[in-house]
Order: sequence, then structure tokens, then C-alpha cells
Amino acid sequence: MRILQNVNIDFLTKRKIFYFISVALIVIGFAVLLTNGLTLGIDFKGGNEILLRFQQDVAIQNVRETMSKIGITGAEIKTMGNEREILIRTSEEGEGTVVTDKIKEALKNDNPNNSYEVLRIDKVGPKIGKELRTAAIYATAFSFLAILIYLAFRFEFVYALGSVIALIHDILMTLGMIAIFNLLFPALNLELSQGMVAAFLTLIGFSINDTVVVFDRIRENIKLYKNEDILKVMNRSVNATLSRTVITGGALFFAVLVLFLFGGEVNKSFAFTFLIGMITGTYSSIFVASAFVVDIKKIQQRRRDAAKQHARPAAFTKV
Amino acid sequence: MKKNRFRIILTLSFLLLSLYFLYPTYQDYQYNQEMKNLKNAEDSAAYFDKNGSDILKARDNKIKLGLDLQGGMYVIMEVDVAKLLQDLAKRKDEIFTQALNDAIEATKTSDENLIDVFEQKLTAKGLSLKAYFGEIRDDDSKIRSDLKSEVDNSIDRAVQVVRNRIDQYGVSEPVIQKKGSNRLVVELPGVSNTEEVRKLLQGTALLEFQLVIDPQIAYKVMEKLDTYLAGGNLDSLNKADSLKNLPKTTTNVNDTSAITETKKDTAKSKSKETKKDTSKNITKKDTSKKTDSNIASTTDSNVMNPQDTAAQMTDEEAKVKHPWFYKVRLQQYQDGSVIWLVKESERKSVMRLLDRKEIQDLIPGDMEFVFGKEADFLDEGEKIYQLYAVKKEPELTGGVVVNARSNIDPANNQAVVYMEMSSEGSADWARITGSNINKKIAIVLDNVCYSAPVVRSKITGGNSQIEGMANIQEAKLLEIVLKAGALPAPLKIAEERTVGPSLGEDSIKAGLFSSLAALFLVALFMIVYYRFSGGVADIALMFNILFVLGVLASFKATLTVPGIAGLILSIGVAVDANVLIYERIREELGAGKPMRTAIEIGYKKAFSAIFDSNVTSIITGIILYQFGTGPIQGFALILIIGLVANLFTAIVITRIVFDVLTEKGKTQINFG
Repeated sequence: MRILQNVNIDFLTKRKIFYFISVALIVIGFAVLLTNGLTLGIDFKGGNEILLRFQQDVAIQNVRETMSKIGITGAEIKTMGNEREILIRTSEEGEGTVVTDKIKEALKNDNPNNSYEVLRIDKVGPKIGKELRTAAIYATAFSFLAILIYLAFRFEFVYALGSVIALIHDILMTLGMIAIFNLLFPALNLELSQGMVAAFLTLIGFSINDTVVVFDRIRENIKLYKNEDILKVMNRSVNATLSRTVITGGALFFAVLVLFLFGGEVNKSFAFTFLIGMITGTYSSIFVASAFVVDIKKIQQRRRDAAKQHARPAAFTKV
Repeated sequence: MKKNRFRIILTLSFLLLSLYFLYPTYQDYQYNQEMKNLKNAEDSAAYFDKNGSDILKARDNKIKLGLDLQGGMYVIMEVDVAKLLQDLAKRKDEIFTQALNDAIEATKTSDENLIDVFEQKLTAKGLSLKAYFGEIRDDDSKIRSDLKSEVDNSIDRAVQVVRNRIDQYGVSEPVIQKKGSNRLVVELPGVSNTEEVRKLLQGTALLEFQLVIDPQIAYKVMEKLDTYLAGGNLDSLNKADSLKNLPKTTTNVNDTSAITETKKDTAKSKSKETKKDTSKNITKKDTSKKTDSNIASTTDSNVMNPQDTAAQMTDEEAKVKHPWFYKVRLQQYQDGSVIWLVKESERKSVMRLLDRKEIQDLIPGDMEFVFGKEADFLDEGEKIYQLYAVKKEPELTGGVVVNARSNIDPANNQAVVYMEMSSEGSADWARITGSNINKKIAIVLDNVCYSAPVVRSKITGGNSQIEGMANIQEAKLLEIVLKAGALPAPLKIAEERTVGPSLGEDSIKAGLFSSLAALFLVALFMIVYYRFSGGVADIALMFNILFVLGVLASFKATLTVPGIAGLILSIGVAVDANVLIYERIREELGAGKPMRTAIEIGYKKAFSAIFDSNVTSIITGIILYQFGTGPIQGFALILIIGLVANLFTAIVITRIVFDVLTEKGKTQINFG
């Protein structure tokens, strides 16, 4: 079986259109992000979270009433997957887990015939949340720096820069998309957690992986087709690696899709983020990283040409 | 061929190494299955006795499951520096309290050192640390560094104490680690009684020596409570009422502990009475005497004969007429000493009573009630707790305890605890013991009294010996309690995560299913698309997974839910290398190259792409590992191992197969 063998699609001539599409999607995503916000998980916000599995279905309204009875207002209460599993999240502060203990006690008293089992209790202090946030930002920044250095060393600085711009594009795009999906499908329970940060860093890994494969072919082809226009060489390289991109991307996509569908609640937001990230990561290798390199190379080419024209040989002429 | 032989040897040795490291995991599984099949506890105990060391060894070397997979508790605790400052301060006034509160507020979400901020706040008020801490001659910088090292030291001790306690509690495979300068990470797999564990973890630095209030006075107070609760008139209390006329427990208490003074050189006592004491004693031990005359001469405990009227009441009557004494039963020894006992079932209600405002108003301001630890005997098949009436203001706090050690006194085979106090503490202790001879001093940790020995003599020099524990376990517990006193820093919980066992089970199922499903899908896809070569890549994939698990076991790393995600991801990435190679080979074959050359060139040309892409991914993995916490690190670790293993399996192992085939003269290999 063969797919996409010997194709010759002109990806890069129309790159301006894709620039526009990317920018537009990111802008829309960020508009949603800024107006609607991204749900910060307990890892980053701090607070208390408790996940209970009741024996029978529970009405969220009843849980809410119980909560207000014990004076905890503004708690976030939602079902997880089914009506029996209830997630309660508060920012109420208290020493140790007094808050969750209070909630547990109250729910036990209010649901005498519907006992529950504690699936998970998390308490994260405000300081820890902040530290995790800082760590996440540092992790991202450092990985960019490390990639920039490594690729500048292995390729050229322009390529390294193109890859990192593609990575920034991927992160912004994925963030925006998550904001949009979060707005449209709240049932996905997408929120910024440690797992999602891991997904972002993994998608950085994947995206750079994909970009490097394309760049590797460009690096090779530039030597082979020395006199060809850079745009042509790059198009040729993207086409040559296209089958691999689709196959690997496809295999990985299915693996992560399985994780998303059956990997349990913990892996859900990780898998979803990564699914989006894979799509934008593959896209950005061609339409951001390669396109950026084409544009810079073109500018460099023009400069060189212009310099050639200006630089006339020194000569005495008769006046 | 030579090259191939080397590759084959390398592959086989990696394979053997992985199997070697994975064997304990298999062994542990086997043991667990067999243990499960043994129905009764005796059999499994016997089985454990027989194979104990092997079982433990296997358990120690197997791939461990993270808390998110097997359920349990994850707690990060930090030294409550504010509380530490309060404890250490020589005096506390309004300025101190205000400056401290300001500093707490300011450091709530910042990383600044509380001590520094506190000092700044003091300076802003025209004061310095000197006003509250240290000796007169000390300058501020010395005090500051002393305070900071106090924080550092206390976390070290906390690690030790928490470990002691956890071991005592009996959790298998606990992780107790220092993290940073003032944090403590505790992982307790399989623990679900979070409240108990939390108490265990946090019950630090609250060791107090409190004087037990004279039983007659305590009785008077309880009588008031009893009358009040029965709805009676407090003024008309029958003064003639005595201890006798009360409902009593029928349990025969064997309460036998004592404190004596030891001189260091005589830690091994040669002068011990062998008779069981019935009351707790703090006695001074004299080295020159053969027998210790100071030891209490009480005989076996004996419950007062229940001739009294109250005891003859029916239960119902007693409940109404003496609501307090019905719950809090008196037990009296022949020497006149008295203890109060509360049944497990009544304990909560007594606690609630004591919390009531009007009850508290009836209790004198300098008095409080504390429960003892669970007694080692039962009353009518129920657990029972002692209730102590103690002076609210502690005579001494546990900070003065420098060391504590439990031992078996060789002279009489009795469990004893040696307690050593600091020089300042010793002076106070001498004064306290001197002025409270024949009175009881309660050793109270976290509002739970662990022992209340009688002081038999003035103890100078700070070396005491507590004796009369029923067994070495009890002595050990007291040792731990006393050592907790050497830990003046209270800990607070900064983060706590509990995973219930059923969520863990769900996660294992989900993780196992999704890993296998992903593996199956990817493997199937490779075979469908690349045919024979796809199968070869799949074999390499299996090796990859085996290596990852082997390395994981050899690192003694923990498999977490995100770790499983990492495994699935590395399955996906693992095939990428083979896809790159195969696509290249197809290209070369398409260009009309012979099989052997096409394979040669395919591997060669794909290498740079595989190498660079794996290295960049490994770089992000390392950074993820560096900055991530617990579960994320598990993910990053698996991803890194997977990527490194991938460089080997995808390039070397598949190549062996193709090289062997082409060397055998095969010119047709199916690349799909």
C-alpha cells in the first residue's frame, strides 16, 4: 500500500494565505481565551478538590444546597462522566483538609441513603500553585532556548528560528483552540492542569520532531539542487516527506485518540491537548517553519542581488 | 557479518538485562497471587516467614506503581515558620504579633523568606530580632542565621520523626523525602484513612508536660458537670458525695509505667523492683543503692468493690441521674490513685460535651481535659480511653527534650524509656519535679496524653527514666512521642492528594487497555502498510517496550498514569523512525536501486532525521523532567527512556533482520 507517493503539491507559494489563516485562528482563539478565560485547574489555582462516586445518581442542585448549608459558596460543582461522580472544587482556605472533611461530612449527612466513595481529594496551597505555574513557564522557555541552540548548531540559525516560531505558533494555537473547545463543549472538562502542561511540552517535542524531519530533507536537497530556487527545493522536500508525515502522524494520532477515549479521566485533557497539538504541529512544520525559512531566504536573496547590482567594479572613467 | 554479530550480541545482552530487571516484578506478582490464595492469616504469615526475605527483595526491586494507580496519599508538608518563630520567641507582644501577621500576609504567595520579611517588618517598627530572640550579646545577623538554621534542622528532624511514625503506623513502601529547604514529601500508598495519617504527620512539636490535677479537685469539677447535665442545681451539690458513689468500670486496669532519673553511666539499671507497679512513677534512681527505695510501693491494681449506690443503679437510671459519670467512668486503685475511663462509643460525645460553651464555663480556666491514647485493654469488648484532667498551662514543652531512647532494662526485663533534657530544661525539670513529688505529670502530644507517670523525687541533671510500660512497643511509642518534642517546628500541609483505591483500579484498567489498544492499532497499521517490514518494525517495537520497562525497573522508578501516557506516546514515536527509514528505502527502490543498496542508503539517509528529531525530543523531555513534579516526571522519564531505546531498536534491531536476509542472498523483501 502506498499513499501520497510522488506527489507534487505547491505548498509554499500560497504561504501568505496560510499566514493569514494562522493569525486569524490565533486571534479568534485568544479573543475567546481573554473573554471566556481558560479554566485553571487546582494545580495552578490552589484550593480544594474532591471527587466522589455515589451509589446512585445525585442531583447537582442538592449538592449545591448542601454546600451552601455549610457556608461554602462559589464552589464549582460538576459531574464527571456520569451522574454518580461528582466533582466539587472550592477555593476556600483552611488548615490541612478541614474544608474537604467538612464537605464530606455534610454530604454524608444529607445523603443518608446514597453513600459515596472518595475517588480523589486534592488540596493545593496557593504557594504551590504559583510555583507550578512558574515551573511551567520556565520549562517552556528553557525548552525553546535549548531547541534554538541545538538546531542552530545542526542546521542554520534561520532554521532554528523558524522552528521556534512554529513552536510558539503551536502553543498559541493550541491554547486558543482549547479555549474555544472549552466554550463549546464544557463536558470535556478541559482545564489547565499539570497534565495539560505536560501535553504542551510533549507537543513541543512532537512538533519539533516533525519540523526537523522536513528540515532534514531540505538540508539534503539544498546540496543536491544547488541552482534551484529555494521555494522549489523546499516544496520538493515537503512533498518528499509528506507520506512519512501522514503515516507517523496518523499512527500517533490513533494512539493518542485511544488514550483520549479510554485512558481515563486523568489522561483526558492531556490526550485532547496533544491531539490538537499534533494537528497544528504537523501544519506548522510546513506552513510556519518552512514558510518562514522561505521568506527569510528570499529576503536574503534579494539583498544579495541588490548588493550585486550596487557593487560596480572600481574603475577610472574619463570625465 | 562481524558488524551483525556485534549487534546481535548487544541486542541479546540488552534483552537479558531487561528480563533480569523485570524478573522481580514477575516474582512479586507470583508471590502476591500465592498469598491471595492462602485464605487464613496464619497460613499467609507462615508463608511470609518462609519466603519473607525473597518476597521483600522482589517487592523492593519491582516496578512500583504510583499513588495514582494503587491509591494512597501524597502530602507535601512545610515547616510552619511563623509558628516556629512564635515558639522560639522569648516574649510576644502586640508589635511582635502584628509584625508576624504582616509578614505571613506578605509571604503568602511570594517566595521570600518569612524570617527576612518579618525582620523588615520589625525594623519598620523600630525594633530588631534581638528584642525577641537570642541571647543579649548576640547580634542580629547571628540571630537571623540561628533562626534560619533552626528551620533547616527542624525539617531534617521532621523527616526522621515522620519516618518513625509512618513505620510505626505500618504503611508498606512509604516515601518520605526532604524537598528543598523546608519541605517534606510523604507518599503513602494504599492509605485511605487520611485523617489518622494527617494527625500522624502533623502531630509534631506539640509535646507538653502538663501537671495532672488532683483527683479530688477534678472530681469536684466533674461533679459540677454531672449535676449540670442532669439538670440539677449546682448550688445544692451534696458535699458529702464522694468518689465511691459513682458508676465504675469493671475493667481491671494494668497500668504500669514510671519515670526515674538516670545518670548516664548507669543507664543499665541494676536496681529494679521486679514487681509490677500499678501506678506510673517518676523516680530518682540512685546508683549506689542495690534496690531503689523510691519506687512506688503500690501493689496490684484493684478496682474498688462496687458497693456504692450508683453502681447498683440500672444503666438507664445512671444515664439520667449521672450523665457525665455514666460516660466517664471512675477507676480507683488501692493506693487511692484514680483514673477516668471513657469507652470508644462515648468518646465522641464526651468530646462534644467538652466543646460546649456552657460546659467550658463550668471548668476552671486553668484546667483542661485530655484523652489518653487508646488503652491496650478492652472494656466489654470495646476500646477504651483514659481521660485526664490536667493543668492547662504546660509545666514544660517538649522542646527541652534532647533525646529519648526505649530499651529493655536487663535487670528485670522491663521496658523503659530514657529521656534526656537540655541544660535549661533540666533546671526547670528539677524545679517542677521537686515541687510536684507524688503528683502525676502527663506527657501530652497533640492533645493526646501518652503517659502520666508519678513524680517520685526531684530529678536534677535532666536524665530521667520512664518505667512500667507494658511492653517494648509501648516504650517505643513513648520514645517517638518524646522525640517529637525535640522537633520544635510545627509542620503544615501545603499540598495533599488522596487517590481512592477504586480510582486507582479504574486507572490501571484504563491505562492497560489504552496501552494495549494503541499498541495493537499501531502494530496492525505497520503490518498493513509495510507488510513484512512492518512486522519487523513491530518486533523492534516490542523490544522497545521491554527495554523501557527494564530500564524503569532498574532505576526503581515508579509507573504513574502520566507514565502510561508516556509509554503510549513512545509507541507512536517508535514507529516514526521505521517509517522514515522505510519511506527512504521505498524511494531508493523506486529509483531502481537493488534491494541491498536501497536498504543501505535508506538507513544512512534516514539517520540524520531520526537522530536530530529524537535528540530535540529528548531535550524537551529532560527539561520536562527537571521542572515537573512527581507524576509529570514519571511521564518525562518514560518518554526519555523510550526515545533513547528507540534510537537503538528502530535503527539497530531492524537492521539486523534486513542484513541477515540480504546476506543470505535474498533480493526481494516486502516493504509494502
